[in-house]
Amino acid sequence: MKIELCNLSGYKIYPANGRTFVSKDSKTFHFLNSKCESLFHQKKNARDLAWTPICRKIARKGISEEVAKKRTRRTVKYNRAVVGASWEAINARRTEKPELRAAARAEAVSKAKEKRKGEAAKKKVARANAPQGEKFNKNQPRAATKVSRSGR
Amino acid sequence: MIQLKSRLTVIDNSGALVAECIKVLRNARWAEVGDEIVVAVKKARPISDKTSASLSAAKIRKGDVRRAVVVRTKKEIRRPDGRYVRFDDNACVLLNNQQQPLGSRILGLVAAELRFKNWVKIVSLAPRVV
Repeated sequence: MKIELCNLSGYKIYPANGRTFVSKDSKTFHFLNSKCESLFHQKKNARDLAWTPICRKIARKGISEEVAKKRTRRTVKYNRAVVGASWEAINARRTEKPELRAAARAEAVSKAKEKRKGEAAKKKVARANAPQGEKFNKNQPRAATKVSRSGR
Repeated sequence: MIQLKSRLTVIDNSGALVAECIKVLRNARWAEVGDEIVVAVKKARPISDKTSASLSAAKIRKGDVRRAVVVRTKKEIRRPDGRYVRFDDNACVLLNNQQQPLGSRILGLVAAELRFKNWVKIVSLAPRVV
């Protein structure tokens, strides 16, 4: 069973449908139905008949959906620098290895500790060397300075 | 659907051009593809003495009564797969009394129904069978 194509409309003709016409010059034409057959004998051109797939293809009908599907939008990634940090600095931080980061952090922590120790030592020294009279007396009468609670 | 008075084109080289059906050799009114009919030749090619020697023995003249088989009809033929085929004209091939084609060649195509009605020689002579 061969599935023919209608000579006029271009539709598929399944078995038990349609008619075949053999012209005087021995050309065979297949028609889907009497509509197509009649139009053929009226010598109509399929390109002028708006409902045929041939005409629709020429007028580019029903193609827009396919075209829209094919287009996929891709987001492009940009490497942007921020005020205060150049792109190289950002990239360096990003690609930093965790061990390095931990080591740097530990170093910073130890440095800070040392600094604090140093300051504390300095303070102690300063306090020891300060004159005696300047020791704070708890029992001194308070100055008449009022600190309002509301903080104005 | 060939009946009395139907005109058919003769598509062999017997010399006849147009034949008119005068009898359907079937117990029916109409003849279809593969049916035998009796025809009267209405138009024939002019016969000159020169060509007569090269032609087949039978000389067909206008007014001859011969047998013929219908090979193409304008009325559609139903095929077993449900499709219908129809030709642009009615055509026949002339036969002799032994049901053999008179001409030696067939010009144009014939319907495939002839094969199933045992007109094997005509089918083999035909350039194209549809």
